[in-house]
Amino acid sequence: MQIQLSHLVPLPLRDKLLQRDSDIWNKEVSFTPGSLVKIKAPSGTGKTTLIHYLYHIRYDYSGKVLVNGQPWQAYDKETLAGMRQQQFSIIFQDLRLFDQLTALENIELKRTMTPKPYCTKEKVQEMAARLQVSHVLPQSARTLSYGERQRIAIIRALVQPFTWLLMDEPFSHLDEDNTQRAAGLIAEECRARQAGFILTDLDNDQHFDYTVYHRL
Amino acid sequence: MLPFFQLLKKIIQTGIGKGRLAMATVGLGIAMVLLLIAFQAHTNFNQLLHGQQNQNESADFLVVNKKITNDMMGQSARSMFTPEELAQIKQQSFVEAAGYITSSQFKVTAAAPGDLQFYTDMFFESVPDSFIDVRNEAWQWQEGSTTIPIILPNDFLNLYNFGFALSQSLPQISQETVKNLPVKITISKGLLSAQFTGRIVGFSDRISSFLVPASFMSWANNLYGNGTATAPSRVVIKTSDPANPALVQFLDDHGYTTNQDKIKYSKTKLIVQTIVSVIGFFGVVLLLFALLVFSMFIQLVIASCKKEIQLLVMLGAAPRQLRRHLMRQLAPLYLVTGLLALVLVTALQWWAARTLAAHEMFVSPWPGAGTLIAAAVVLLLVYWVNSSSIRKYIAQNS
Repeated sequence: MQIQLSHLVPLPLRDKLLQRDSDIWNKEVSFTPGSLVKIKAPSGTGKTTLIHYLYHIRYDYSGKVLVNGQPWQAYDKETLAGMRQQQFSIIFQDLRLFDQLTALENIELKRTMTPKPYCTKEKVQEMAARLQVSHVLPQSARTLSYGERQRIAIIRALVQPFTWLLMDEPFSHLDEDNTQRAAGLIAEECRARQAGFILTDLDNDQHFDYTVYHRL
Repeated sequence: MLPFFQLLKKIIQTGIGKGRLAMATVGLGIAMVLLLIAFQAHTNFNQLLHGQQNQNESADFLVVNKKITNDMMGQSARSMFTPEELAQIKQQSFVEAAGYITSSQFKVTAAAPGDLQFYTDMFFESVPDSFIDVRNEAWQWQEGSTTIPIILPNDFLNLYNFGFALSQSLPQISQETVKNLPVKITISKGLLSAQFTGRIVGFSDRISSFLVPASFMSWANNLYGNGTATAPSRVVIKTSDPANPALVQFLDDHGYTTNQDKIKYSKTKLIVQTIVSVIGFFGVVLLLFALLVFSMFIQLVIASCKKEIQLLVMLGAAPRQLRRHLMRQLAPLYLVTGLLALVLVTALQWWAARTLAAHEMFVSPWPGAGTLIAAAVVLLLVYWVNSSSIRKYIAQNS
């Protein structure tokens, strides 16, 4: 699934961004399927905004986001839902878990959203064990620490099929060890699906063998 | 239930509108019961009027004549039906067929055979065969035949047997005996006269007159009449529903009259129709309110879960899945309500059938097809209103 950006500029940041030199904003950019993309940018330059544009939950931009040659707007809501179940997975910066559900239920919600779940319950337990959050699975998401929530959000993003994984500062609240484990799991899961990812972060890092670097 | 929908239940809380939902459900239940009762009452009344078991065979034929008033006396022409009036009667939607009664224009005398001392002046009338309730092979006459078949009114024999015979100490006569008695009939006009043998072939409940075949009447009127056809003063109409208020209204408007016994149901029918309409009207109004409250409940639930719904859609839940989930929450509720209403109406109907049967009135102990269809239509309507408001509010909030 090809993603192309064509002169994409966020309307609220327009004046500020056009004065900066960027690899993404107001450029023709193409993300090849399967590539591991790192987008590095300081705060306030629109990382989250870009991820939201790519995932089509914000629309205040000029230019185009093309998915398989079609602008996002060409897809109807049902098709969009299908793509979010099968093609695009996401780890939000603000995680967006349901507080009224337990950690496990948050994962199950995503896993069972498709009639035929992509991975088994055991696989979920295995991933939780790898990220050392097995013990918090039965707890309400409300009671978890931010780091624990972040790892639950990562697992939730990995229980579905996808060709692109969008990550918005996914390790912001994890220590070095946990980051290594999470990055290892993500890399494995992407390989298993032959999927690519787009990751935004503040700094340089060596968590993945990135194929493309961009500065926002 | 699929685990996904179980989780949705935890996220999309329907508890917030419980009061409204209860109100809508109760309203729907009462509305359905009222509507179904209205339909069922209509079916029952029709069954009472037209059902095989309740059928009064002669009720379908009415003999209509103009009311004879004091100032009409002595002017027989004023009781005649003009061709225009006949055409107008035939045009009415409730008249399936109309035929007029032709009177004889000659003198008729009847005498008993042998030494029975019986002699009387009388008259004949005829109607088209299709209006006669006596089916008999002997009911025909051809020119040259000296035997005339005659149909007597049932009431006539009854008057003789139970009135005259008893008071005069004369023997009562059975129908069979009467049929076997040949009667000497003489018809005459001035000096012209002819003799026939009359045979009683049947007794009619429908038309109170001495009937002869139409073929004989036209032959005799031609030969012994005054040459011009006289206008009829009585008309037989065939109607599927003598209780039709429109029929009664028509007769009243034109100063016509008929056997009142046969149209006595029309007033009852009018009253029942009014009551049924009022019940039905309240049912419909209540149904509309119930639908409104359902719709408000749906709006409230979706609005109160706006954020959750948005996040669900963001995570990839299809609007279709959310709609299905909400429908699953509501559908059993009104299906059960509809079923309960139907059970209640069935019980009422069973009770009504038993009560009416005690009075020799028979209706089916089961709700009619119309009632079942009405229940199905109401449920479909509720389903449609609910699914379209769910569709609307989900689309607004996703």
